Amino acid sequence: MSMKKRLFMIFGPIFAAALLMLAVFLSPLWSGFNYVKPEVVDNAAASLSPQVLKGQLIKRNAFENGYVPFFGSSEWSRFDPFHPSVLAAKYHRSYRPFLLGARGSQSLTHFFVMQSINPQLKNKKAVFFISPQWFTPMGEDPNAFSFYYSTLQTTSWIEHQNGSKMDRYAAYRLLKMPSGSSDKVIAGALARIAAGLKPTSSQMLYVGLRNRILLNEDQIFSRYRIPLNNEKTIDKNEQKLPAHYNYQRLDALASRIGAQKTSSNNFGIDNNFWNHRLKPHVKKLKGFQTRMSFLKSPEYSDFELILNQFANDRTKVLFIIPPINAKWQKYTGLSQSMLDQFDQKITYQLKSQGFSHIDDLSHDGNVPYFMTDTIHPGWRGWLKMDQAIRPFLTKKVATPHYQINKQFYSKKWQNENGSENNLDY
Amino acid sequence: MRWYIPYGNPTYFIWLALAIIPLMIGLLYGRRFRGYQTIISLFFLILTFGGPNWKTGISLISYLVYQMILVGLYSRYRQPKGSPNKGWIFVTAVVLAIVPLVIVKLTPLFTPGRQSIIGFMGISYITFKVVQTIMETRDGMIKEFHPVLFGQFLLFFPTISSGPIDRYRRFEADYAKVPEREAYLDMIQKGVRYVFQGFLYKFILAYYFGTILMPQLQQQALLAHGFSWNIVGYMYAYSMDLFFDFAGYSLFAVGISYLMGIKTPMNFNQPFKSKNIKDFWNRWHMTLSFWFRDYIFMRLVFFCMKHHIFKSRTTTANVCYVINMLIMGFWHGETWFYITYGLYHGFAMVINDTWLKFKKKHQKHIPHNKLTELFAIFLTFNVVCFSFLIFSGFLNTLFFAPKPY
Repeated sequence: MSMKKRLFMIFGPIFAAALLMLAVFLSPLWSGFNYVKPEVVDNAAASLSPQVLKGQLIKRNAFENGYVPFFGSSEWSRFDPFHPSVLAAKYHRSYRPFLLGARGSQSLTHFFVMQSINPQLKNKKAVFFISPQWFTPMGEDPNAFSFYYSTLQTTSWIEHQNGSKMDRYAAYRLLKMPSGSSDKVIAGALARIAAGLKPTSSQMLYVGLRNRILLNEDQIFSRYRIPLNNEKTIDKNEQKLPAHYNYQRLDALASRIGAQKTSSNNFGIDNNFWNHRLKPHVKKLKGFQTRMSFLKSPEYSDFELILNQFANDRTKVLFIIPPINAKWQKYTGLSQSMLDQFDQKITYQLKSQGFSHIDDLSHDGNVPYFMTDTIHPGWRGWLKMDQAIRPFLTKKVATPHYQINKQFYSKKWQNENGSENNLDY
Repeated sequence: MRWYIPYGNPTYFIWLALAIIPLMIGLLYGRRFRGYQTIISLFFLILTFGGPNWKTGISLISYLVYQMILVGLYSRYRQPKGSPNKGWIFVTAVVLAIVPLVIVKLTPLFTPGRQSIIGFMGISYITFKVVQTIMETRDGMIKEFHPVLFGQFLLFFPTISSGPIDRYRRFEADYAKVPEREAYLDMIQKGVRYVFQGFLYKFILAYYFGTILMPQLQQQALLAHGFSWNIVGYMYAYSMDLFFDFAGYSLFAVGISYLMGIKTPMNFNQPFKSKNIKDFWNRWHMTLSFWFRDYIFMRLVFFCMKHHIFKSRTTTANVCYVINMLIMGFWHGETWFYITYGLYHGFAMVINDTWLKFKKKHQKHIPHNKLTELFAIFLTFNVVCFSFLIFSGFLNTLFFAPKPY
């Protein structure tokens, strides 16, 4: 055999494989390959998995099949018989919650999550759980943001962005995160968007190719990689509920279960959480939140991105503002007047722009068995929330009229603490 | 500029392919571009030991200078005709050669969580090469010391971070000549196959076992408190990950060496097909176990026989097995699980030898057929996997570490 022929025999297959791979991952045909087994969607809905959050196909499928997005963070992992997913399954509601978010996922993460499901949010309903703890002076932790960061969602957004204030602000914020500059070409495109320019055509070509490859990867693989699911947890919790829904009876049951589960401490905190997470260092934690403030934070403008996107999609949204465990709050010295101001500030941001569905629970922190631990609702808290969620999702809701106010993207608003008295709440 | 762990990501392979193409063309036309090879070696060493890792780069250079001087001095002492060849000088040279490695290995023991500043990725493997060179110089096998060739040998970049551990005389012979075109085409064919087999091992199989399966089993096992079948699952997943990750890496190193016209020895030969533990060590991390066999075990055996320390040969061999493996355990790291792992394999070798002798004696009564062979493979596999469970340190996390709450 001649040298050329041998070299061809050795390296030919490699080139063929490379070409085949490019053809497979760049092919537009995969977009027709949309079927996802209902069990996979059911698993994904309560999986709280970052994979689900970062993907696209499964969420799109879910929202076209009766699932409603429940945006939030760590609270969704507090499963008990009154958790929204359990109540919806047990009482055969017309909706099923699709839980989006886990520890550390905040507004900016959710803004990009929304970029993968904009068509499914159009004129639909959603629930959004606002944690006051997001609104710290630092805003979203860059590490948490990286953990949930999806290049697929970023490239999808770049392809559809039109240089609006929202897009420019999102680009600016993304560039502040390490994830935003992890890819040099994308970082270049972001810098142009933030500056009010269109990305160059070569940047757009690159973004388009990346997007196509990632989209195909999602189309092909995402249905196979849903990790551990919480189906069993939901089943087990369903069995503890009576067959028929009756608020008073359920509320009494919630109190009973709550009393059993919080027997180890005086804070009304779940025994497991207490024993493993708090008890060892409870002494050190006395008064540790005295100086904590949720009033000045870049999170306010990140949250505005969410509102702006909802307004663009004309999504009808129920916002939930949770309380903080009142006994724990007192023990750790978290200021009540600061919390009241936070509540006013966030409510103002919502209402002044036409977001009128707010389930404000911020004053229920001292209701027994309302909270499962320090900041997360449990038993009676979930049930109370259900009194707002159920009618909102099962009854007709009037078409909203949103008026987005760009002032909420300003540093001035981020740092507005109410005492300066220049905004009328 | 970005910095890379060798064979860590696709970009590294693209750099690699671009850099060795000129070298390959040269070899196909009967030339070895040694200057060019030195330049690309430096380039890849900088990719690994430069940038944020520059401190380890300094350590590498200092280490190299130190070992060069050491081997150079010993060669000057030993290589002339009529050299007195004193035992204590040889021992001192070996001790001095391993001192940096010992310091690096002991540092975490005294300052927990800290790494020694004189350490760098691959220090063990270079040390093995140095010690081997000193020993063969003493034996009179290596008759000349070429600082440049020796440097090329120590710093051969495809194998720098984790072996395989080549031998100086073998490497030098390959490096000095250019293979015939036909032979080199065969080497290219093998090299390409090894690299792609490495992709399958490291980026698909090891990824599945190590990144997907293992964390789940680990989590479940930790949640179960105490014994659960998840530990057994973890044991197998870890063993598979260990094999495919390391074998994959070794295939890259050997494959790239072949493309460069150097026949770096293989490191793995289907180890899970082993019929007994000795067979296993002839197939698993072969260059390391052969190094231990030639430079520790054999030397110990000769030493013991020469000084008549034990009466029977069997006892000599058994004691040397245990010491040999124990040293390997200490080399892995100063934790109870590495040391236990070493002892475990030492005793496994002893038991294995005893059984084989017993079997030979009673050949007539002990059956030997396909079925017993299958059973032997099964048993060896499980003995080995259990040793890897010890090695993984997971039992330590499970039973002794503070709970992650």
